[in-house]
Amino acid sequence: MMTEPTLIYGAKRGALDALGIPLIVLLGGMTGYGALAHDSGFGLGLATVATVLVWGLPGQIAMLELENAGADLLAIAIAVGMANMRFFPMSVALLPTFGRHAGGAFGRLFQSQIMSASSWAFIMRPTAPVEARARVGYHVAFAAICLTLAVIGTSAGYFGAASLPRPLALSLLFVNACFLLLLLVDIRQRGALVAIVTGIAVGLPANLYLPDFGLIVTGVIGGTIGFLAWKPDRKDPGA
Amino acid sequence: MSGLEPHGPELAVLAAVLASFGWRALGVVFANRIDPDGPVFRWFTCCSYAILAGLLTRLLVLPIGDLSEVGLSIRLGAAALGVAAFFASGRNLLIGVLVATGAFAAAVAWL
Repeated sequence: MMTEPTLIYGAKRGALDALGIPLIVLLGGMTGYGALAHDSGFGLGLATVATVLVWGLPGQIAMLELENAGADLLAIAIAVGMANMRFFPMSVALLPTFGRHAGGAFGRLFQSQIMSASSWAFIMRPTAPVEARARVGYHVAFAAICLTLAVIGTSAGYFGAASLPRPLALSLLFVNACFLLLLLVDIRQRGALVAIVTGIAVGLPANLYLPDFGLIVTGVIGGTIGFLAWKPDRKDPGA
Repeated sequence: MSGLEPHGPELAVLAAVLASFGWRALGVVFANRIDPDGPVFRWFTCCSYAILAGLLTRLLVLPIGDLSEVGLSIRLGAAALGVAAFFASGRNLLIGVLVATGAFAAAVAWL
């Protein structure tokens, strides 16, 4: 059956995908974050604002941990900036696939702001819609549901913090890493796969010895090696 | 610089929001000039995957805060079980996540 490549079709697909496994992972991860925010002395409103506007769990956790440790603002900004610098290349890799359908500068900024590792990884899968307009619908619906779930999770964790048994609280922080791991081992494109394997190999020493800039180094080295290993699937004249 | 004024959580959130938004905005500026079928686009895609992999090693192997109190062997063991379950179930994300998280919770509770 022919698919209708429209915004609505994409939105339906995005909503269905977001209501699967991301629902559980986001509720879990953000519940862990909400509980941590409560224990760190953040108000619920502030914790929720951070969820929606920072919109990257590792950065949010780093913010809480450093604030707890009494770090200064510059240290917090650097740590969160490094944890979330992935949004730069991810935006560059995502937005052109929307063609002109993301709207003007504001529309593209909006798409970038609602993008998360999950929305990015899902829309990069071969099963996601290919047509630009359908991709816009897919991404907006997927991200809107994720953001809603994240706000619910943050609040649930915040109010349930006191009653959360420790193994469960720790597991909720762990679930996000597991999800990311499985999204990455599910990649089949050769260049991306090489980038991931290299990223893991380089990431360990880079994060250990260059805690502030380890992720940039990892991204550039892993990305370049992956790029060189990319197997062109069309007759693209080389240099 | 350690001489900054004492600040509240509000400023910590503001710093975090600005630090994240800056990368996103930079991405938007770059994306305007990039051909989605060209090599620069592919390079950025690969860099994104590599950074996510680097972030993963940080979350699993070198976490900060509460997770760092859980032994490395528990974190890696639970993750490995999750990957095994993922492939054994025909790449089912839900089963992989549930097995990994369940194993992790059980290990934390009993060890």
